[in-house]
Amino acid sequence: MSEVEGTPEGPKIGVDEWVERVEERTGLRTGWTAPIVALVEKIPPAGLLALAVGATALVPFLSSSDYVVRVAVNTVLFALLAVGLNVVVGWAGLLDLGFVAFYGFGAYLYSILSSDQFGVHWPTLLTIPVVVASSILLGLLLGLPSRRLLGDYLAIVTLFFAQIFVVLTTNADRITLPWNDGPTDITGGPNGITSIDPISIFGYDFGSTRSYLWLSLGVFTLVVVALQLVNHSRTGRAWRALREDPLAAEAMSMPVNRLKLLGFMFGAATAGLTGTIFAAVQLGVFPGNFEVPLLITIYAMVILGGAGSIPGVVIGAVLINVSLELLRDPAQARFLFYVTIGLGLLALLRPWQKLAAVAVGTIVFGFVAYQLAERLRPAWVSGSISGGRGSDLLDGWVIHPANSTHLGNAGFVLLIAAVIVISELRGVWRTVLLAPTLYLAAFVWENRLVAEPSVTRILLLGALLIVLMTWRPQGLLGTTRVEIV
Amino acid sequence: MDWNFFVQQLVNGVTLGSVYALIALGYTMVYGILKLLNFAHGEVYMMGAFAGYGILTAFGGALSLSINVVALIVLMLGAAMLGSGLLGVVIERFAYRPLRNAPRIAPLISALGVSFFLQSTALLLFGADFRSYETYEYIDLATGVHWGPLNISVVRIAVILTAVLLMVALMLLVNRTRLGKAMRATAFDREAAAMQGIDVDRVIVATFFIGSALAGAAGVMVGLVFYKVYHLMGFLAGLKGFTAAVVGGIGSIPGAMLGGLLIGLGEAFITGYVSSTFQDVFVFSILIALLLVRPSGLLGRADIQKV
Amino acid sequence: MSRLLELKALAKAFGGLQVIDGLDLHVDEGEIVSVIGPNGAGKTTLFNLITGVYEPDAGTILLGGRSLVGLPPHQITRLGVARTFQTLRLFLNMTVKENVMAAAYGRTRAGVVRSILRTPGMRREEREIHALAEEKLAFFGQRLMGYRWNQPAYSLSYANRRRLEIARATATGARLLLLDEPAAGMNPKETHEITELIGKLRTDGGYTILVIEHDMHVVEGISDRVVALDHGIKIAEGTFGAVATDPRVVEAYLGTKAAATK
Repeated sequence: MSEVEGTPEGPKIGVDEWVERVEERTGLRTGWTAPIVALVEKIPPAGLLALAVGATALVPFLSSSDYVVRVAVNTVLFALLAVGLNVVVGWAGLLDLGFVAFYGFGAYLYSILSSDQFGVHWPTLLTIPVVVASSILLGLLLGLPSRRLLGDYLAIVTLFFAQIFVVLTTNADRITLPWNDGPTDITGGPNGITSIDPISIFGYDFGSTRSYLWLSLGVFTLVVVALQLVNHSRTGRAWRALREDPLAAEAMSMPVNRLKLLGFMFGAATAGLTGTIFAAVQLGVFPGNFEVPLLITIYAMVILGGAGSIPGVVIGAVLINVSLELLRDPAQARFLFYVTIGLGLLALLRPWQKLAAVAVGTIVFGFVAYQLAERLRPAWVSGSISGGRGSDLLDGWVIHPANSTHLGNAGFVLLIAAVIVISELRGVWRTVLLAPTLYLAAFVWENRLVAEPSVTRILLLGALLIVLMTWRPQGLLGTTRVEIV
Repeated sequence: MDWNFFVQQLVNGVTLGSVYALIALGYTMVYGILKLLNFAHGEVYMMGAFAGYGILTAFGGALSLSINVVALIVLMLGAAMLGSGLLGVVIERFAYRPLRNAPRIAPLISALGVSFFLQSTALLLFGADFRSYETYEYIDLATGVHWGPLNISVVRIAVILTAVLLMVALMLLVNRTRLGKAMRATAFDREAAAMQGIDVDRVIVATFFIGSALAGAAGVMVGLVFYKVYHLMGFLAGLKGFTAAVVGGIGSIPGAMLGGLLIGLGEAFITGYVSSTFQDVFVFSILIALLLVRPSGLLGRADIQKV
Repeated sequence: MSRLLELKALAKAFGGLQVIDGLDLHVDEGEIVSVIGPNGAGKTTLFNLITGVYEPDAGTILLGGRSLVGLPPHQITRLGVARTFQTLRLFLNMTVKENVMAAAYGRTRAGVVRSILRTPGMRREEREIHALAEEKLAFFGQRLMGYRWNQPAYSLSYANRRRLEIARATATGARLLLLDEPAAGMNPKETHEITELIGKLRTDGGYTILVIEHDMHVVEGISDRVVALDHGIKIAEGTFGAVATDPRVVEAYLGTKAAATK
């Protein structure tokens, strides 16, 4: 990784030997992503899309559980959102933090046009184009004042916009309109809009979850194909050029401001379109559906998968949405937690002797700590580990006090401190301290985080973003970008 | 016209304004030196408010205070400034420094991560309920200046004075000390400053410490005046602090103070006279309008693009 | 010969510093004009003014009689002025060929709708862009050909990056090329090559060229006319021989004389 940044290690930049190592520097074909990338590269994009869509379409036949199908629908919707955000962030290089508001706007507009809220029930084939066009228009309106702005100004303006959207939807249930007597309820306020019409196309009513899965897969296919075609046109090249160097792009005849707006509008259109399906599937929309935590979820998907790569962000969406679903259940969450830590150690610790030492060290440390606690502070082991698979395995290893909140909080703070210390240390002390830190992580997990899944998900997504940006900004499938050479 | 109401909004505006100004200073200082928008700044302010609350609890809580009130407030401010300052330094070290040569968008995303990480950390540690400073339990709010329509409690006077004091101290630091000189040089041209033998990393760390400490102080002030502290308080305050920095001209220290005051006054009067639900919408509109008319802010200079 | 570019009484100040001060300059069709002058003389600012990065405080800039003042850079490029950058501003993470293809943006039409529908017109245009990029890259002999097309621009050597910048500028369809220190950082052999190349750009490519250069061998080798700037003021103009011996130019370069006659 470090050679990528142009540090003194390795051949000097620009010499032939350095040039030859370009493949290596792109960071894709080395390390643990190499087999995945090799696999993905063997399949043509169309085949990849067909494979992913086909496999997902089969979900209702593999599982009779409506919950599983619903998760699949959500995953496809997230993948759509990630693909849309990828246009703005990954291709055009703009930090759009108002993305979620366009999603919400699409959902609300669809709901207003197809529910009893105003007694309006437009046909779907009219509503969807209207929603998409309105989203584009809204994107244009927001983009216009921001178009001259630096990346960070755009970010804050759009973040404000997202906040305003939530404020408006929460409070627009008692709006005084000049042509109406008394207050008008536009958005239903905190209660949202419910009993929304299902999507209906050519007389076919989408009602079942599985039909929505197929519908959203169809929309996904159309959107991905369209975006891929745009990416392989002069517009796509211009987006990439402006992401690399806006000034040079402008000097090379590309209208940078208009291209930024265009990227922005593409993002808005995709988000708005996804919003309509979301509203129809949910049968209801509420301000809470579109708050900022959703934003960080989509960002995590795009960054994890690799901003700029469509297969990447789709994989990111699948990984994160499925993980978040698993977090809801303590037993599954536990499984996910230990497997992730195990995989992380496996990927990072070399040689295997070191890995084994840390693993054994952690396990031994746990038993010793437990025994000590049992002798010295019996109250610290008097609680019970919340149930599910594997809990009996952990009994006797993880300290679990009866009232775990305070000790768990203290452990959490200590864990952050330990991680900070470890990342500053080098050499043998780092390895030595790793075992107690891992144990501490398990302690905090079992005593505190497992009980608070909604907090834990945002906590983990936040941490994921920091770690990814500092350690592997290109994500899983993105290309390493060389900045200063 | 109701003068009492007007003056009350004026006092409200100045109080809010001094808080926003302190937050804006952190944004503007960091932006001046690193050209980086520190999204997590609002969360640093929130953590400062909780640090103050922690001191209050440690000395017996609002109802059974075991310490002199002045000493308590000094301790609260001290703890919040130290805690927030250190937090700012840690954030710089782990979320921003590795990304100093990365594309512009990278530290912003990392900052987004920090922001949410801190928010949910606070939620985990302190819960979703409001905590209250309950200032009225240990300070008689009736004392203060009562002069015609002007009614201003001793707490507000103390808060405004502290804010002014901190800002004067900052101006002195920036204009009169070696560190301040190094900061100005680094803000002007980081590479040139490094070549002149200025330890740029140290300057950046100091900037983060000072900016974050000011935000921490702002957190305690808000707690003292408006009582409530909670894990989401940093989000909007951060946005408004940033707006204040932009209004004043980002990178300009006097600009941040002016901008803070303007945003505070604007918000107070809009809340008082127009709408108390949609005041944020108005603040946002001010930002948009200003960016259209004068993107470099009131006191900022238009940057010359280097080619 | 007709006037292609004409600057009259051009002025630009940053803060209190007058960087360009009442400058008159013209470039005729098919001419190669070099701008020389010590560091800080305002040469790069001159390029930034012509290409619309900065707007002049006063004066006119005419391209074929049409004023460029106030136009955004991309439109100026579409009207026929393209530049290279002294500091090299390639699209580093795009491939060599893509760098050139991207610069064809201003001379192509297909919008997003046609791109999604892949209309025959759009496909023909794409083929033309590919052909154009290949033609522009072929101008540099084998240097930027073959396997290099699909390599990212950052993998190129320094000299090749300078060449790619020129190729990219020509792909915009410009008639007037502004080259900002095309020989900077090159070894003597490469410098010799670039001198020949600039000549070839005029004879084979039909370009008119305004060039900033420090290397006096290059300036001598290519220039029809040399303009010397100091502190934003034109201090001499004429053939290389006349300008190089002009006492005011010698004075302006005093102290950097060694570098000038290297």
